[in-house]
Amino acid sequence: MDAQNTQEQAAVQAGEPVKHQVHHSYIWLGTLRVVAILFFAAAISVFSSIIGAISEGMRAGSAEAGLVMLVTVGFSIGFLVVLAGIVFLVHWLAYKRLYYVLGPDEFNLYSGIITKKRVHVPYNKVQSVDQKASLLQRIAGVRTLYIDTAGGANNKAVIVPYVTKHDAEWLRSELFARKDAAVRGVVYQEGARPSAAADAARPQAPGTPVPPADEREGHNVLDVGQQAWDELGGVFAGAAYDGGRVSYEYGLSNKELVLAGLSNKTSFAVLLLGIIVALAQLISFVFDVVPGDDANAIASAAADIGGQILQSGMFALAVAIIGFIIVVWIVSVLGSCIGYGGFRARRRESRIEVEYGLLQHTFQGVDIERVQAVVISQSFIRRLFGYCELSLAKVDANSEGDEGKNAQTKRGVVIHPFVKLSKVPEILAGLVPEFGDVPTERHEVAPVALRRALTRRCIVQGVGFWFAVAVAIFQLTMGLWLDDGLVRIHAFGSLVSIDAYELCTSACVVCYILAALVTVVSAIGAVLWARSSSFAFNERFMQVTNGGFSIETVTFPRQKIQYGYTKTNPLQRRAHTATIKARTAAGVGGTTYALIDATQADAESWLAWLEPRV
Amino acid sequence: MRALPDQKLNPKIKNVWRINDAIWIALVFVCLIVPFAIAVGLDAEWAGIVCIVLVIAFVVLLVIFLVILPPIRYARWRYQLSDEYLDIAKGIIWRKRYIIPFIRVQNTDTRQGPILRAFKLASVTVSTAAGSHEIPGLDAESAEALRDRAAELARLAREDV
Repeated sequence: MDAQNTQEQAAVQAGEPVKHQVHHSYIWLGTLRVVAILFFAAAISVFSSIIGAISEGMRAGSAEAGLVMLVTVGFSIGFLVVLAGIVFLVHWLAYKRLYYVLGPDEFNLYSGIITKKRVHVPYNKVQSVDQKASLLQRIAGVRTLYIDTAGGANNKAVIVPYVTKHDAEWLRSELFARKDAAVRGVVYQEGARPSAAADAARPQAPGTPVPPADEREGHNVLDVGQQAWDELGGVFAGAAYDGGRVSYEYGLSNKELVLAGLSNKTSFAVLLLGIIVALAQLISFVFDVVPGDDANAIASAAADIGGQILQSGMFALAVAIIGFIIVVWIVSVLGSCIGYGGFRARRRESRIEVEYGLLQHTFQGVDIERVQAVVISQSFIRRLFGYCELSLAKVDANSEGDEGKNAQTKRGVVIHPFVKLSKVPEILAGLVPEFGDVPTERHEVAPVALRRALTRRCIVQGVGFWFAVAVAIFQLTMGLWLDDGLVRIHAFGSLVSIDAYELCTSACVVCYILAALVTVVSAIGAVLWARSSSFAFNERFMQVTNGGFSIETVTFPRQKIQYGYTKTNPLQRRAHTATIKARTAAGVGGTTYALIDATQADAESWLAWLEPRV
Repeated sequence: MRALPDQKLNPKIKNVWRINDAIWIALVFVCLIVPFAIAVGLDAEWAGIVCIVLVIAFVVLLVIFLVILPPIRYARWRYQLSDEYLDIAKGIIWRKRYIIPFIRVQNTDTRQGPILRAFKLASVTVSTAAGSHEIPGLDAESAEALRDRAAELARLAREDV
């Protein structure tokens, strides 16, 4: 560390840009990661041959088999060692040629062993800087840095891997400070505390002094683990870096943590699966109790041949499946609790920072200028409790290797996973006071929107309706095809004839009931939507609320609207309504916030509002 | 009712659309009909019916795209260039009305394909951080003017996104 510092100082005096190397754990942690993957692949492929050898040995005599096994295992271990050596060499060479330079106008990342690669990021294009650390990286005290830039779908995040915690935090605040200077057209001064200038220049968040850690809002059991991490820091973490003044900070309370864990998507899906299995079991039980009539010919035939044993076996299986599902559910809830463990959101100067994850740690930082929208979303479950999820939309970049799998980054920055609705204004005022002046004059959707929503959701886009149509067509064709209504099949060694027509009809009736239920649910959704959807705009902000079983309210500054448009179809023109769509650059490649069937007058005044004023 | 933008495209654009659509429809038609024509050559009677259906579809599509649609499309395509924003109205069934502030424009391109060039026209594409808009069929002069105007105002934008 010291040697590096003196080198840097020498370079600064010589007037050259400083080459910052990443941490040497790049070599051995990177190698370890690749080797672990290789090991698993090898273990799986070798496993089958070992099993084969063992079963061979059972027959041919143990001495020979033992030898074969020994050779196989020895050979694969040798192969792995050679591979690990190669991987290590590659990482070592890559490490030597991997460095970054903070130039006067841009950040440069140099990499590549054979093909040299240089990535430029002009400071004023930096959207957000995120950090992530796997468990191993955390123990070592290193982080992987993701620098997001604006640039649409094919723009990838710039990844700086394996930088120490200290360096990561230094680099982050350095990037933001330089960005700040670049945006305001000021020459950035090396070494000057970036916050001092920024503090004076921009309106500050209401300055509440930060209370000591144990008095801060929101605490839970897992925070202890987070504190332990903070204190231990990891082997190579380096000294803590002070990034600037924190004006607002909060965490999750125990209740919020558990509820956030309970309401995550996987656990909900697992719970649903469990309910379905239980329901299926219940139905089959009911069918079992009802004495078999003609339609249940197969069931009674099955009952003849030891059906009783089969039934009890099925029951045991169902119980086992339900038990398994409960275990998976508990694990997934615990997992997401740990994932949210150590959650902290804070406002540091002009940046919003969020960190979470007890084992795998994620740190997201975004400048207030780059926040595209504030999203308050109430899923159905959260709505039942009167809670909501708060997140900030920002311009996201695809980072290599985690397309799709990382939904968290695609959703922007979650600043609170589970918060009581009444606490939202307080949090927003603390974290993003710039979004304080939200419009209040709501323009509801047109009264005719209810009728249109009902036809749209129940018929035109109605799953239930089209399902019923499909079933009706099926029933008609079956009716034509099965003329005598009897189908003879060979079952259980004897000829059984079933009244297929009746069976088909009863199945169709079940389908119709299902379709009707779905349609009723859609209708309720449509009514709820028409009642709670609206949009609003004032001097600086626009707000779009789309309701239904879940409600999402999005607030975004006028400045962030790239363009807006209205869209009408002939029916809307007759009903004097229009769909309004505002497009921002949030997400990957942009996001459209839309409201269907605003009144024509509202849509027109909105279009007039969109025109830039001098 | 908000007044429609006052500028129309250059009337020659109708012919550009006609040629463009004719080429595409003919290409698809040829690709579809060749296998069936070969089948007819190999004495498959049903293929003859398919060929006739395809030819009818071809003619109908040509009539729709060359005779009926271009004038309507042309009449519905309006734009207006104010000092601060671009106002576009287009669409026949689904009518859209765009307001694109120039300070959000990231870059503007003019493009001239072979067909456009033959008619001495150019299309201008105006790109924002979240999507782009094309104004097809302007005469070269107003295309240049539009591009310059957009580029000038885009420079005044305080920040990119």
